[in-house]
Amino acid sequence: MQPDEHCQATGLVPRNSDRQLEVLVFDLGGQSFALEAVLVREILDMMPETRVPGAPALVGHVINFRGRIIPLADLHLAFGMTVPAPTKDSRIVVIELDLGGDATIIGLRTDKVHEVATFSAATSEDAPVVGLRWKREHVRSLVRHGNDDIVVLPDLEAIFQTITHGAAAASIH
Amino acid sequence: MIADDPIAAFRVEAGEVLDQVEQALLDLGHRLDDADLVNAVFRGLHTLKGSGAMFGFDALAGFTHHCETAFDRVRKGQVPATAGLVSVILSAQDHMRALVEGDAPAADGDAILARLQAAIDEASGTTPAAASAPAATGWQIAFRLPADAMANGTNPLMLLDELRELGDCTVVARTDKVPPLADLVPTECHIGWDVTLLGDVKRDDIEDVFIFVMDDMELSIEPLGLADADAAADAAGTDEAPVLAEAAAPVATAATADSPAARSTAKAEESVRVPAGRLDALMDRVGELVIAQSRLSQCADRGQDLVLRSVSEEIERLAGELRDTMMVLRMVPVGSLFSRFRRLIHDLARDTGKTIEFETEGEATEVDKTVIERLFDPMVHLIRNSCDHGLETPEDRIAAGKPAAGSVRLAAHQAGGEVVITIRDDGRGINRARVRAKAEANGLIQPDQALNDHELLQMIFAPGFSTAATVTNLSGRGVGMDVVKRTIEGLRGSIDVQSTEGEGSLIALRIPLTLAIIDGLLVRAGSGRYVIPLTAVEECIELSLEDDMRHRGRSLITLREKLVPFLRLREIFATDTRPDPFQKIVVVSTPQGRVGLVVDQIIGNHQTVIKPMSALHRDAATFAGATILGDGEVALILDIAQLIALGQPREETLRAAG
Amino acid sequence: MTASILAVDDSASLRMAIRIALTGAGYTVTEAGDGVEGLTKATSTKFDMIVTDLNMPNMDGLSMIRELRKQPAQAGVPIIFLTTESDPEMKNQAKAAGATGWLVKPFVPDQLVKVARKVLGR
Repeated sequence: MQPDEHCQATGLVPRNSDRQLEVLVFDLGGQSFALEAVLVREILDMMPETRVPGAPALVGHVINFRGRIIPLADLHLAFGMTVPAPTKDSRIVVIELDLGGDATIIGLRTDKVHEVATFSAATSEDAPVVGLRWKREHVRSLVRHGNDDIVVLPDLEAIFQTITHGAAAASIH
Repeated sequence: MIADDPIAAFRVEAGEVLDQVEQALLDLGHRLDDADLVNAVFRGLHTLKGSGAMFGFDALAGFTHHCETAFDRVRKGQVPATAGLVSVILSAQDHMRALVEGDAPAADGDAILARLQAAIDEASGTTPAAASAPAATGWQIAFRLPADAMANGTNPLMLLDELRELGDCTVVARTDKVPPLADLVPTECHIGWDVTLLGDVKRDDIEDVFIFVMDDMELSIEPLGLADADAAADAAGTDEAPVLAEAAAPVATAATADSPAARSTAKAEESVRVPAGRLDALMDRVGELVIAQSRLSQCADRGQDLVLRSVSEEIERLAGELRDTMMVLRMVPVGSLFSRFRRLIHDLARDTGKTIEFETEGEATEVDKTVIERLFDPMVHLIRNSCDHGLETPEDRIAAGKPAAGSVRLAAHQAGGEVVITIRDDGRGINRARVRAKAEANGLIQPDQALNDHELLQMIFAPGFSTAATVTNLSGRGVGMDVVKRTIEGLRGSIDVQSTEGEGSLIALRIPLTLAIIDGLLVRAGSGRYVIPLTAVEECIELSLEDDMRHRGRSLITLREKLVPFLRLREIFATDTRPDPFQKIVVVSTPQGRVGLVVDQIIGNHQTVIKPMSALHRDAATFAGATILGDGEVALILDIAQLIALGQPREETLRAAG
Repeated sequence: MTASILAVDDSASLRMAIRIALTGAGYTVTEAGDGVEGLTKATSTKFDMIVTDLNMPNMDGLSMIRELRKQPAQAGVPIIFLTTESDPEMKNQAKAAGATGWLVKPFVPDQLVKVARKVLGR
């Protein structure tokens, strides 16, 4: 496997290189986030959701994605934000993520989807140890973009791995 | 994917070849002089050796080569087929399977080959003389190629080079047939050669050089130095002739189209191998089509357009048929499962010293492939039970006035949406007194507890129960009938036992035709819709206001003078909407007895395609899967056993509080 | 220069087996999935040798060999066909169509390499 492919497959931002990274920028609770464009399968309008009782709140629903039943995740919860009611700008970003060797298709609720942007690896920084509002282990890196806007690249594997490793407590009662 | 991986493709093909070899060997065990079967085994071994080497399975190729060589002597009539030999080759065939999978200890192979040699020696009664033809000291070769050989890609210079590699050559060109230049066709070969080849070279090696052109060319190969070579040539001649004659005979029999082997190949329908993933993908597309179609029919029903409505109905019919056809694609005959037990019976008969007649019926009955795969282990256990515990020894049978040979019959037939598979033996039957004693000893029942015959027989499925007074090698190791029962129930099937003491037992498995589709009852609790598997549903009743009001207290209703506990799905699923005024109870049967599930609304029967839940929802164990409803929304399918297990502690706390 | 070989077979696994065997021996291998593709590729590029199956969809091996031998450029190009059994009738037909030699399936990589060395001399 090429080092570059490895980076894409795992969502790592390549460091020490001038490589350009194509990302999809979206909003969650007023904050800009981005994920690598190669992960994105499709962007959907909001659709009927089915609640899964007993499932971790982060992936509390499923949707019908072209005949497949996929989990609908809400990253607001991973970053300690309250879940807002959907608006006309809300979208579901469907991504394919490699979780422990299994390609898993997941829908992500977002408040608004912006554009596909190109980040240069040089502008990315590791998440600072202090002064961050969010769980540090949920953040892969921070990128300066446009007018000093800080964009968060979430560590999706870390976020979802907590669930597949059974760490999440069932909230059935 | 199989199409891209020659190793995976080889493994599949090798498994099929081994299956055929095994069947032929088992048949051969009964008809030791059947030349067609001998040939079938030989062909299988030969193919396996060749393709094994081709795909880098060297250990397999090496091992199979020895077996093939040994069996070749049977094929040539030098050694008769014996039961011992068949038995050794059967175990060799197991070892080959292990080699194909890549997990065979080499020591096993050596032990089998030693037994094979012993069986061959015993069968032949003599030690075979190792005879090899002494080679000549040299050869005089004369050849002339066909005119079109060069145009067709044969380069005579390379043939000469190959001869030179065999030994020292003196080459003389014969140009007597070269035409005048004007008539010469440059792509044709007009030259002949005389070659004197010196050295200890086999005739076969020389012929190999010319193998591609030998049939059409002029070629003579004569040994040099007639004086010394005469004896050698005679020896080679006498040694070769009988081998050739023997080799010719089996070929002739194999070629007759009427032989059983030929018929069975002709019987096999032309088929296509498709990776299961593609079928699943097709299934998904069909599922989407059905959903899109139901939206179309909603649109058509709302409007006044009669043409649209008739097109919509047409598409509805086609989509339904397409889904049915899709289901059929996943079906395979149970014969493929049954035939795998012939070997088991053979081994069991050998190990127990019993004579067992094995019969099968209804092999053409079709079941979903996934179901077939999951049926194998439980059926192995049941068949072992029948042979080991059920059937008596020949002496006991004769004493009981039965034929010495015991009988085990497998049968399958379709009944509605289910397939019924029965395993029947004519053995001693289940001893009720022993079952009772055992159940009491294990604390499963009280000494004075009254049980009817059916309930008593059901005891054998209780966890930790085993009727065998002594645990034999064959069965009763770790897994019991309780595991069998759980596996069958995991397939949404059921198991039942009938038995007459002294006459035998019958185990009946009822299995749904497919795991891909479920007949369910669609219900609503709060805003969520759920599917309850219809096989579990006993009845639906209304929850009386009286019972409904008892929020604090025992959640029990009286159903035909029996108390039935109930669970409120609204509570278990933490619904936040207001409850419907008239709550309904769906009574389901569980291994622990009947349980009522309280829901807001019963929507109706729903036949549905089961879709797996994502790995991220593995912890939500109350659901066996999900399905897509007619309006495109998702409904979750309840896993009743898990749901009850989850509801249990709540009930107990509630009872304690009440 | 390494010899280039065209492998024509409708079975992807067999093509792969051929490719692995021959590239391992230092040849370069081009694949074609049926007779038509084989004919097209052989016409546009000159190969040092062609290995072909006989039973194939679209155009079978025999027809492809006949078509190839009609082309003057293919004179002398060795064509090896793969046959499942040592069926003399099939062999005669393929030889008559202009094949150079054959290899009985299943074969081990060494056998294929040996045949290639035999007809190519390298």
